[in-house]
Amino acid sequence: MTGRKILMDFEVTPTSHTLEAYAARGGYQALAKVLREMKPAEVTKEVTAAGIQGRGGASFPAGRKWQVVDPDDGQPHYLLANADEGEPGTFKDRWLLEHVPHKLLESMLIASYALCVRNCFVYIRGEFDLPYRRLAAAVEEAYAAGYFGENILGTGFSCDIYVFRGGGAYVCGEASSLLSSVEGTRGYPRNRPPRLTVKGLYQRPTVVNNVETLSNLAWILKHGAGEYRKVGTEKSPGTRLISISGHVNRPGVYEVECGYPWKKFLDEDCGGILNGRKLKAIIPGGISSQVLPGEVAYGLELSHEALWDVNSSLGSGGMIAIAEGTCMVRLLQVMLRFYHHESCGQCTPCREGMGWAHRVIDRIVAGKGRPEDIDTLIHISKFNDGTTICGLGDAAGYATVDFIKHFRDEFEYFIEHKRSKCDGRLECLPEVAHA
Amino acid sequence: MPEIFINGKPYQADPDQTVLQVCLANGIYVPYFCWHPHLSVVGNCRICMIEEEGRGVDIGCNMPVKAGMRVLTESEEVHAHRKAILQFITLNHPVDCGICDKAGECTLQDYHYEYNGAPSMSHEPKVTSTKFYDLSDRIVLDNERCILCSRCVRFTREVSKSNGLGIEERADVSLVRPSTDGSFKDDAYSDNVVDICPVGALLSRSFFYKSRVWYLTSTPSVCPGCERGCSIDIWHRKPEWFVQSLDPSENSAIARVTPRENPAVNGPWICNKGRDLARIFERKRALEPMLKGKPATPADALATARELLAAARHPVAVVSSWGSNEELDAFRRAFDAGLTVVAKHDHAPEPGEVVEDDVLIRADKNPNSARVRELFGNAAASIPAEADLVLVWGEGQAFSKIPPGAKVILLGSYLAPENGHADVFLPISIQTERDGHYTNFQGTVSGFSACFPKAPGVADAESLFAALAGSAP
Repeated sequence: MTGRKILMDFEVTPTSHTLEAYAARGGYQALAKVLREMKPAEVTKEVTAAGIQGRGGASFPAGRKWQVVDPDDGQPHYLLANADEGEPGTFKDRWLLEHVPHKLLESMLIASYALCVRNCFVYIRGEFDLPYRRLAAAVEEAYAAGYFGENILGTGFSCDIYVFRGGGAYVCGEASSLLSSVEGTRGYPRNRPPRLTVKGLYQRPTVVNNVETLSNLAWILKHGAGEYRKVGTEKSPGTRLISISGHVNRPGVYEVECGYPWKKFLDEDCGGILNGRKLKAIIPGGISSQVLPGEVAYGLELSHEALWDVNSSLGSGGMIAIAEGTCMVRLLQVMLRFYHHESCGQCTPCREGMGWAHRVIDRIVAGKGRPEDIDTLIHISKFNDGTTICGLGDAAGYATVDFIKHFRDEFEYFIEHKRSKCDGRLECLPEVAHA
Repeated sequence: MPEIFINGKPYQADPDQTVLQVCLANGIYVPYFCWHPHLSVVGNCRICMIEEEGRGVDIGCNMPVKAGMRVLTESEEVHAHRKAILQFITLNHPVDCGICDKAGECTLQDYHYEYNGAPSMSHEPKVTSTKFYDLSDRIVLDNERCILCSRCVRFTREVSKSNGLGIEERADVSLVRPSTDGSFKDDAYSDNVVDICPVGALLSRSFFYKSRVWYLTSTPSVCPGCERGCSIDIWHRKPEWFVQSLDPSENSAIARVTPRENPAVNGPWICNKGRDLARIFERKRALEPMLKGKPATPADALATARELLAAARHPVAVVSSWGSNEELDAFRRAFDAGLTVVAKHDHAPEPGEVVEDDVLIRADKNPNSARVRELFGNAAASIPAEADLVLVWGEGQAFSKIPPGAKVILLGSYLAPENGHADVFLPISIQTERDGHYTNFQGTVSGFSACFPKAPGVADAESLFAALAGSAP
């Protein structure tokens, strides 16, 4: 067991995602309490007091994001749930959408009430099929039960929800390009300032939160910020959904209380590393977070502050375990191919840099590397960091820099010997291939 | 007015300005590709890096002014970033300046020499793309040279409003493409994208491979295409680069026309008609005076004209709305109250031409109608039937509207059948051969200068009026 549960606190059955089952578990009680007993400002205060950090990757405190929005400024406000889960290795929001869509809807209603939002949106990844159908069905159920629409629960609060399916671009998971996409234009990220909480969707104050961040709100408002603070660590309250994949025996989605020991999580909960191998490295939160060598990860607890101390982050919670014997050069090649393919092409450093880095690493893997290529890759990453419009350019740079920092010998070996230091047989083992 | 410190010196700034605008307004140059003073800010080229002390580098075009902020435009960090961005921009740029029409006035070329100067760090093959892609029959696109600054796309959305261009695909294979409804082909302002393109990606068909820009010089002028009177530059060969052995008419030909920024009239734009002034000014010229269709000496022709004017009892003058303010004034001085004046529209909208829109184009296709109205406000609408002599100045007078039996003196510049029907034909100079001013419909007076020497045998209308002065009753 991985500590206390907030989101995965029920048994998954074929009907556990329905409104009936959710209501039987105490669903929509928090909404009724909020609408009848609390003022919008009190809800924001409660969320701020709970100190919940964003679960999408940047770990920005949700309450601080909300505080920028003045609910009484007379403008329309918008709330968007970012369900465009595209970060490689991440599949936690998918679990939430498939199994507790009502938790998201209830939480969005609470957030809409706090932020004075009349229309809220769910931007769901276009490739999601079952999650979309479950969410769409949940929206139908919620409307039928009077949780959306005019005069909800007779309190005079009205709110409508729209489910918007994305077109399959990674960059649209970035909040500002997500808004561009909803507005019907090309999914290009926007320059800051202005911040989205000042000028977002249709130039109005907009809050974009991750599905997991929002889903926590129902629990927080039901039990209070004080109770929430008791879960997790002081600087990382609550739990994190970790979607672990790669070379572990039991990959999947786990809810982990912040502060849980990482080694215990890997060895006991995930059943250890595949084929009893050593853990070579681990990507803690989606490929945009910095890779950590296995021995570093074993000594840490799963919390934001512990990972920040080693210059990495829990990111989106998309953990990828990498066993001894994996070729890091070819792994980086796969990652750079992804970044090259998904670069939106708006700003120069990422548009040109990702293609360049991808061609360099392709050449190294083809056995035509040059000794200066490593420096070229670091140069590209350095000038991608902080020069791009959105964070994706920075993130691609982090991956490259940290792969080279921790595994430089493999890159040098590959360039010198025109072959991998790790022979690559691990990927070909039958039990892995059919796992 | 917040005060900000640029490179240690204090400057007054407007709270709505960005740091880049403050820098440029105070003569501190910061390089930029995608930013344009008349288009929205997108901040995608990332070259206008400015360091805010204590906060690191960021783009100047989107950096709001804060009172007391301290920025550096020439720090080591800024230079390193500019250099790196230029490495990225030239990564897949073909650097084919030797055969590029933009060479010599290309911002990428300038910045490379100014801020980078180093060979490419890359050993990889460049990304290839489409070349000679026809966006319309006027504009050619070279996608390899394109740096995707999106100025052209924003121009069609924000200025010409045709929404004619967009970007397809993504990453380093993004392509500027025309919209599928073909609206770019009908965009009456499409040629402006050639000017605002910071590199040689968008090229004009009419100037394609025509000349190196450093062989050319520009003369300030006014577009005569409509009563807006946009300020333009007419580009033609520099005297020191005159061709000797090739066709010498090249030396007095209009190579291209570009807008000259004039906030009072046209901003930085002109329409496509203004680009095609060669079609107006380079028609076959009439160079010989004629008497009833037979060549005559200038002295004979002038003497005959004076006789006809002196003999006329009901002389009528048809005034050209293509005449300059100076010519119109000379006309009035010469024939003050001596004859009946009829105002004429020399040019009417041609089939297929945009007649009027809410950007620049005006329905009256003559440059000086306003001054004609001002001087001859009570002019007759048409030639009175009792006229026994008609002095026609310029084009556009239908001879069928002239009373039969009336003598005709015609002052014209171009070959036309009417020239032979006139009793006296006198050739006059055109706008590109003389100095002058036009008054546009808003009352703004703009001047133009001579680009070329006068064609042999022609006289200025102004001097002809002086020579004919006093002969009218």
